[in-house]
Amino acid sequence: MTSAVTIPRHGGTGGRTAVAARARQVVKAYGAGETRVVALDHVDVDIARGQFTAIMGPSGSGKSTLMHCLAGLDTVSSGQIYLDETEITGLKDKKLTRLRRDRIGFIFQAFNLLPTLNALENITLPMDIAGRKPDKQWLARVVDTVGLSDRLKHRPTQLSGGQQQRVAVARALAARPEIIFGDEPTGNLDSRAGAEVLGFLRRSVDELGQTIVMVTHDPVAASYADRVLYLADGRIVDEMYKPTADAVLDRMKDFDARGRTS
Amino acid sequence: MTVLKTSMRNFFAHKGRMALSAVAVLLSVAFVCGTLVFTDTMNSTFDKLFQATSSDVTVSAKGASDSGETTSDNGKPPVMPASVVGKVRAAQGVKSAAGTVFSTSVTVVDAQKNNLSPKGGGPTIVGNWNSNDARTMKITSGTAPKGPDQVMVDKDTADKHHLKLGDSLAVISAVGTHNAKISGIADFQVTNPGAAIFYLDTRTAQETLVGRTGVYTNVNVTAGSGVTDPQLKKNVVAALGTGYKVQTAKETADANQKNVEGFMNVMKYAMLGFAGIAFLVGIFLIINTFSMLVAQRTREIGLMRAIGSSRKQVNRSVLVEALLLGVFGSVLGVGAGVGLAVGLMKLMGSIGMHLSTADLTVAWTTPVVGLLLGVVVTVLAAYLPARRAGKVSPMAALRDAGAPADAKAGRIRALVGVVLTGAGGYCLYLAANVDKAKDGSPWLGLGVVLSLIGFVVIGPLLAAAVVRVLGAVLLRMFGPVGRMAERNALRNPRRTGATGAALMIGLALVACLSVVGSSMVASATDQLDKTVGTDFIIQNDRGQQVTPQAVQAVKSTPGLERVTEYRTTKADYTTPDGKVLKDTDITAADPTYATDLRKKTVAGNLKDAYLPDSMSVHEKFAKAHGIHLGSKIDVKFKDGATAHLTVRAITTSDDVIDQGAKYISIATLAKYVPADRMPLDELVFATAKKGQQDAAYKALKSSLHEYPQFKVRDQTDYKQALKDQIGQLLNMIYGLLALAIIVAILGVVNTLALSVVERTREIGLMRAIGLSRRQLRRMIRMESVVIALFGALLGLGLGMGWGATAQKLLALEGLKVLEIPWPTLTAVFLGSAFVGLFAALIPAFRAGRMNVLNAIATE
Repeated sequence: MTSAVTIPRHGGTGGRTAVAARARQVVKAYGAGETRVVALDHVDVDIARGQFTAIMGPSGSGKSTLMHCLAGLDTVSSGQIYLDETEITGLKDKKLTRLRRDRIGFIFQAFNLLPTLNALENITLPMDIAGRKPDKQWLARVVDTVGLSDRLKHRPTQLSGGQQQRVAVARALAARPEIIFGDEPTGNLDSRAGAEVLGFLRRSVDELGQTIVMVTHDPVAASYADRVLYLADGRIVDEMYKPTADAVLDRMKDFDARGRTS
Repeated sequence: MTVLKTSMRNFFAHKGRMALSAVAVLLSVAFVCGTLVFTDTMNSTFDKLFQATSSDVTVSAKGASDSGETTSDNGKPPVMPASVVGKVRAAQGVKSAAGTVFSTSVTVVDAQKNNLSPKGGGPTIVGNWNSNDARTMKITSGTAPKGPDQVMVDKDTADKHHLKLGDSLAVISAVGTHNAKISGIADFQVTNPGAAIFYLDTRTAQETLVGRTGVYTNVNVTAGSGVTDPQLKKNVVAALGTGYKVQTAKETADANQKNVEGFMNVMKYAMLGFAGIAFLVGIFLIINTFSMLVAQRTREIGLMRAIGSSRKQVNRSVLVEALLLGVFGSVLGVGAGVGLAVGLMKLMGSIGMHLSTADLTVAWTTPVVGLLLGVVVTVLAAYLPARRAGKVSPMAALRDAGAPADAKAGRIRALVGVVLTGAGGYCLYLAANVDKAKDGSPWLGLGVVLSLIGFVVIGPLLAAAVVRVLGAVLLRMFGPVGRMAERNALRNPRRTGATGAALMIGLALVACLSVVGSSMVASATDQLDKTVGTDFIIQNDRGQQVTPQAVQAVKSTPGLERVTEYRTTKADYTTPDGKVLKDTDITAADPTYATDLRKKTVAGNLKDAYLPDSMSVHEKFAKAHGIHLGSKIDVKFKDGATAHLTVRAITTSDDVIDQGAKYISIATLAKYVPADRMPLDELVFATAKKGQQDAAYKALKSSLHEYPQFKVRDQTDYKQALKDQIGQLLNMIYGLLALAIIVAILGVVNTLALSVVERTREIGLMRAIGLSRRQLRRMIRMESVVIALFGALLGLGLGMGWGATAQKLLALEGLKVLEIPWPTLTAVFLGSAFVGLFAALIPAFRAGRMNVLNAIATE
């Protein structure tokens, strides 16, 4: 199975497509000739709008590369990627930057915040850069949701790791992007703080209708998603809806065993 | 051994980050070595010239200077009768003796009345063609001069002015104007640094330069075989008696050398001083580089400590890196210094001073001094960061990069800085309030040094304050990008402080000098307006006297109300307190000078000083020697008799024009000095009849057309000339300070480049969440501009303070008007903003080109 195109392109949600982003026959290769390494091998994928998608896979499976390509951070060797109806493959840096600024949100594993700006300034940074005024009510709701109201004037160094990631979540949510990408957003947190952040991500999908794509290798983190995509050797090898941590873990063990025998 | 290995690896791993520091060391060392090579080369060039041109023994008339400068106040060289040559020939051990006559107080013009004198300050020499000259000059075309109509010219001058055989020249001396045609061109066999030389035959030279035949200025004596120069000198002295000056070749060459040495030493030490300033600025750059490298390597150092490196080893590894940097930069610097010296020689060539690369002199001390200086300064500068590296705890290996700021050190630093600055300010205050200028200068010097150090020490604190203000004024309008630039500049105040301080030093000196310079112009202009009652001044810009023929030409110009002659000479004074002052200046002028220059008096009327056997002195002189109105002073004039003069006026001491002059009338001078020893006019003042200024100015210019060596200027021109003169001097100093400013700019580039490296992840993050390349570049540019403006503000403020204090101090010497040159200072300030933009070019470009993903993934 190399395709995850399982969702009809047109749903019933007010004329907008039900797909927030899609990849078609995406290849990402490094080097040439004998040293050629294929990170993504003709991948097709649709990301459903208003859903929480997790991408899983062992190290070197291409899961991070896929996310970076979907998010317009990395270029592809061939194939197309669309954000809503916009093809982003082939866009120049200027347009890509604007696209990331206005339509995409990011949460990285670590180092999400600028040390010179306080929490609130970090949250509104993408909008500030764009020269847009933040929607006050929305901002208040986001800040409230992630529970940071009393920490807004703090600098990142004065916040705990969990708080810092919550600020990052708030920043990603504040600009109301079409899609949020998370690159192991809880990878550096202990399980309690991680659960908190994942809880916020879940709620933002359920309550705010946000689309989220998250790369993780943690079955527990993946269990918060609506759908899990499995990558191995640059291909999508499986997917799972309504996952539980145990089911994800079993599936992973399964791949591991198959990988060893084949 | 491992220490050396890790140091080497670190050094080469970070060669890019070391590059700018190496350039700073290179530039400073190159400037020092270039200066040394250049001055050594000039010295050896002159040395060769003087050795080649001196005969074994030279006899000159009494009154000639040791170096053979044969000009006296009356515009003619001191001479001796031709019979001396015969007496010298008769002396023991003399192989040959030849009489020569030459003069340097002459001007030679071509047929179009163009002055052929060298522009670079070299002398114009007219003399008879003789056997001694034939040793060092070779006739390359035509023949030696013969008869009154012929003149021979040196090849350098001929080439410069496109002269050829048969061209008409005119030799203008105090005797008159002599016309001749070029009969030959002779070339130097050694390098001629820049004199213009013209030869006549002996009789013509005597008539043209002295006004009569049968006299010589010198006798060149050649020794017979086996006779040493000192022996020959003894014999010649024995034959002639004591009425003449007799010198061996060595003595003549030494005296000549001494003459140029003074000027060259001034140049040498001034240039070394500027090299020192560049070094000082370079120190900031090196400190910053190593501090940043140590900060970036904190985790690595922590790891080294954790696995057992001692503090000393860590400390030493940083110092070894500095040593490598110092050696590398210095070696290149020594090489570049030689190149710089050649460049300077070429530059001198363009202003008329010939130096040949064949004479290039690199003393063994030059590379040694360059290397030592470069290495020692670099290692010393790296000492503080090295110590900080030694203090890194093993725990740092586990923490995130970036050492927390030490609050206590900050407080101590602030205290020390404030105390130093305060002490400096107090010294400046003292300097501005002394009664005697001499007492104030140590305070001024101390104040300058203390306030500079103080500013450097509290730089980081000032950075925090100044950057906030600049941010509020400048950056806020650029929105979030401006805000981030401001925060970045504030992030490490110590770094911003040091970078700005480097720029501050150069700009403080620029500001101080420009304040003093423009105050000088303003004070002089102010006094000219207030005190000068004449329209035109006639003078020679090289300090030659005005010839009687030219004075006559001025006097016969129509439309003039009066002409005042002005001469200076020396005299020995015996004052009422019994002191004898040797060789002291005295000014003789026509009585109308009291109207031409309305000098203030504290007692008496200045007009009375021009009465027979009267004089004026200035207030300080009067006080020092107990002189009152009516006091008698014995004045023994040079080349003349002793006069008993009565003091009839005491002038103020604190004016710019004719400061400290003591006046008598020319008539008084003439009474005591024989006519043929009378000094010529140094200046001539002319005043037009009412309402005829413009016509008179034109008429004067055409009267002096025959004498292009004399300039006539009205008050406006004079003020402009004064301004130009000071402007030129300032420009030269600014040019030399440019070196220090360039090093400071490198410092800004360096800080930004290293900051960009340090903030790679941040930059990646910002680009990921949508900061465009253009915004990123703008952010870095603005940070750079803020740092540069911070340095400029500090520098200009400090420099203005110094300048204003210097003016207050010099007000006692006549510098009464304080003029702040706002246009210059504004230009410097705005220029600094451009410097900031320029410095950010490459760091911003590199930041913009970073790959977003790689940047985020950086550790």
